[in-house]
Amino acid sequence: MSRKILIVEDDSSTAAYLAKGLAEAGYAVEACKDGRDGLFLASEGIFDLIIADRMLPGLDGLAMVSAIRGAKITTPILVLSALAAVDDRVDGLKAGADDYLCKPFSFAELSARIEALVRRSDRTATEPQKTKLAVGDLEIDLLSRIVTRAGRSIPLGAREFNLLEFMARHAGQVVTRTMMLEKIWNYHFDPGSNVVDVHIGRLRRKLEDGFESPILHTVRGAGYRLAQEAA
Amino acid sequence: MRLSVTARIALLSIALAIVTNLVLVGVVWRQGDNAAMQAVRRETIEKSDAMRALYRSGGLAAVTTAIDGARAPGDVSLLLAVLDGAGNRLAGFAPPRPAVTLVPTSFRVADIDSSTATRDVGYALHPIGRYWLLTGRSLDLVEAEQRAIERALGLAVVLSLALGIGAGLVLARFVGGRLDRIAAVIEAVGEGDLSRRVPVDAGGGDAFDRLAARLNLMLGKLERLMAELRVVTDSLAHDLRSPLARLRTKTEQAVLMADPAARDVALSNLLIETDLVMAMLTTAIEISRSEAVSRDRFTAVAPAELIEEIAELYEPVAEDAGLAFVTAIETRPPAMKVHRELLSQAIANLIDNAMKHGAAGGAVTLRLLDAVDGLAIQVEDRGPGIAEADRAVAMKRFGRLDSARTTPGAGLGMALIEAVARLHGGRYELADNAPGLIARIVLPR
Repeated sequence: MSRKILIVEDDSSTAAYLAKGLAEAGYAVEACKDGRDGLFLASEGIFDLIIADRMLPGLDGLAMVSAIRGAKITTPILVLSALAAVDDRVDGLKAGADDYLCKPFSFAELSARIEALVRRSDRTATEPQKTKLAVGDLEIDLLSRIVTRAGRSIPLGAREFNLLEFMARHAGQVVTRTMMLEKIWNYHFDPGSNVVDVHIGRLRRKLEDGFESPILHTVRGAGYRLAQEAA
Repeated sequence: MRLSVTARIALLSIALAIVTNLVLVGVVWRQGDNAAMQAVRRETIEKSDAMRALYRSGGLAAVTTAIDGARAPGDVSLLLAVLDGAGNRLAGFAPPRPAVTLVPTSFRVADIDSSTATRDVGYALHPIGRYWLLTGRSLDLVEAEQRAIERALGLAVVLSLALGIGAGLVLARFVGGRLDRIAAVIEAVGEGDLSRRVPVDAGGGDAFDRLAARLNLMLGKLERLMAELRVVTDSLAHDLRSPLARLRTKTEQAVLMADPAARDVALSNLLIETDLVMAMLTTAIEISRSEAVSRDRFTAVAPAELIEEIAELYEPVAEDAGLAFVTAIETRPPAMKVHRELLSQAIANLIDNAMKHGAAGGAVTLRLLDAVDGLAIQVEDRGPGIAEADRAVAMKRFGRLDSARTTPGAGLGMALIEAVARLHGGRYELADNAPGLIARIVLPR
């Protein structure tokens, strides 16, 4: 059964762009144009994800998000907004959104975030507490913070471990640079100079040097993916 | 509007002057009236007592003799007479038949001579043997005095009216003049001349001077913000032109490409160019927002930890670029309220600038230290530095040095650092690292 995504967006060209892209990615999409309808549809509780614009007619996007959360509906919500300042994002997350993406966005970024959100809500439903993560021959012990690949221990710095853990939790999915900056470093600005690439490069050398197969893959135009096999 | 306020001030001060003067005149008038009447009353009673004492000791003869000698020459207002049982004058000075009721009266004011047009008298009437002793004084004189006082008071009222109007006009002129100076400046500013200031007297500390000083402060900030806005807009347009021009060229080239693979590469390059433009716009928004960030966005952060986090992020980047990256935490002050995200971004910009422009020196140092007037976060490089003379230009918002012109958006980065420093009540400054540059954010403690 395909996953259902609700798009609440009053700009019809953006809505059409989203609907088309998400349908191609295999999601079932429903769209509405204002916050009131969005709240009404969301309250049915049949969606796996809600994508909401901030500036909506009828009921403002953030007010809608607050109302949805107020109604104890836990469907993940991703806010899409042209309001791109750091504090705008803070407001969005405070209102109860799970993620905040600024317009204009690359579709690769959006789809990586959607997948992360959808999978996360699956995980919390099925496997709440994990102490070990495994990706192919790579094993990560979250308690002792020991990483081994094919039985060989790989020493990692604290930040490298966090980076690997994050990627392992999203194993097989594309993780973007901004997602990593947000989750690992808690920065919401672009530090430039390919900062994330440098950190990934170091991590990759430790994970792959001396091993036969690559495990940390670069996804062009989008980000990185931790998986045993190349996609 | 302004004129009518001045007029109102004038009218108010005139009205106040008149009211106070009228009250004063009224009090004086009443007091004078009372005092004159009291004097008549006292004299009447005293004289009456004296005459009755004389009667008791010397009889009627003594009284009449005393009456004859009691009246000073020219004193026509004195009333002093002996009346018989029927009320007719026997002796003394009084109308032949005063219109009084023959009952003992200690003091009374009445018209006792209906035949003539004389005024009221104040009198006392007491029996002496078979006769009655009438003492008193015509109030003519009192009233004459009263009228004189009234005339004087009336004159005072007229004078006070004139003075009040004069004072009001002077006050209105003074207030109006002071306000006009301020209003003229505001008017000029409203018409776009932001450089105008209200002249403030050096030693003057009155309310108008304070108002003018505050206004000048406000105008100073306004002018600075306007200038910055203009520079931001100008340089944003300037900065955006080159990437957009490149974008256009590349798009054109991509359109003309026949080979699909080459076209794909060209198209993804277009995305990179687009992202650059987007990033510049985001920074520009962040700068303009940071002018008005409210303090509730601040969180308590230990400065040393903030620095360490950034260092951790950039150290590998610098090393990959062949630069030695040193983190020097010289002080560990307690947590302070900062906008973590913006401050981090500003420090990231400092490091980014150092890595871009100071790469030749081979080393970049991120240092947290105690400065004289606060906490300094500085990034030191060993590159070419900026000559003393050029530093002011470099600091001026968006006034980029020509050597930096090739790096797009560098001016925006500087502007953001400065805006963030100011948001925290601190400042951004450049210093000489001999050789190299020190770029420093100083935060107040």
